[in-house]
Amino acid sequence: MSTDMKFLVVDDFSTMRRIVRGLLKEIGYNNCEEAEDGVEALAMLKQAKYDFVVSDINMPNMTGFELLKAIKEDPTLKHLPVLMVTAEARKEDIVLAAQTGAAGYIVKPFTKATLEEKVQKIMQKLAAAA
Amino acid sequence: MHMEELAKLNAGTDPLMVSPEVFQQIGTITRVLHDTMQQLGVMPKLQQATDGLPDARSRLSYIATKTAEAANKVLNSVDEAKADHARISAATSAMAAALMADPVKAVASGAVMNFVKEVESRTARIDQHLTDIMMSQDFHDLTGQVVAKVVTLANDLEDSLVKLLVSVVPPEQREKVDASILQGPVVNPEGRTDVVSNQGEVDDLLASLGF
Repeated sequence: MSTDMKFLVVDDFSTMRRIVRGLLKEIGYNNCEEAEDGVEALAMLKQAKYDFVVSDINMPNMTGFELLKAIKEDPTLKHLPVLMVTAEARKEDIVLAAQTGAAGYIVKPFTKATLEEKVQKIMQKLAAAA
Repeated sequence: MHMEELAKLNAGTDPLMVSPEVFQQIGTITRVLHDTMQQLGVMPKLQQATDGLPDARSRLSYIATKTAEAANKVLNSVDEAKADHARISAATSAMAAALMADPVKAVASGAVMNFVKEVESRTARIDQHLTDIMMSQDFHDLTGQVVAKVVTLANDLEDSLVKLLVSVVPPEQREKVDASILQGPVVNPEGRTDVVSNQGEVDDLLASLGF
């Protein structure tokens, strides 16, 4: 797994973006950028190359589900793994995320170990599929 | 609204398409509803609760501001403390290597003394960062008091609205409450089957779906 991977962290709360970014840095991923909602994230994804998206669900303008759907419907972006990190604990949301194409789902509050485990698991799956 | 006022409002405009009896009936219904609500004690409490809403908004904004300030302060302090800690670790490794290579030279060149001074300085900075982190937790006490007041207001408003609702909603509709509009963390997952309570349950659910 390459630590040069470029992450995009999407969350409307700057504190949470900073925490996720800090945890990714501790895990070994230093190349990380931030977007405050789905609209900004989608624009960034279309302008530059990213390797991994970590997204919240409840956000203004464009929710995490809408962003996930937009990514999976775009032929140039659909390969991107999207990890949902959210306070939403409803089973229907988890099922919807999986069916829409999310690579993983983490409920807040979470630990560094959980984030590391999910990211590694997703990257291993991608590597095996390649 | 009195019939005289309605007549004034209508003065100078086209003739009404409805009969005055309709307005009379609406006026009567409005008066009955108003009197009923007064008798139920709903109106004074509802008025009191709605008057408090702007205050609740400002209190909630205050909580958002205080918690954001505290979170940023803590994260800044952690960043700086980690940088100081990393510097001490690097300096310690360098000093160990210097002492292993030539202890006399390390002492004579002043490298040991410089190292000691740097450790003193950096640990003092780390101690200050830890104090800042501790002090920034004061938001908990402040916001806790504000939350208590907002909860009281919300309870009063809910109580008034429920009384009002029960008095006007048909009996068969009283049990129908849509909670799905509430978003965010599930505060009380105990006994609920529609939510998960930890990451393990998320993983089990996804595994059962083949993910």
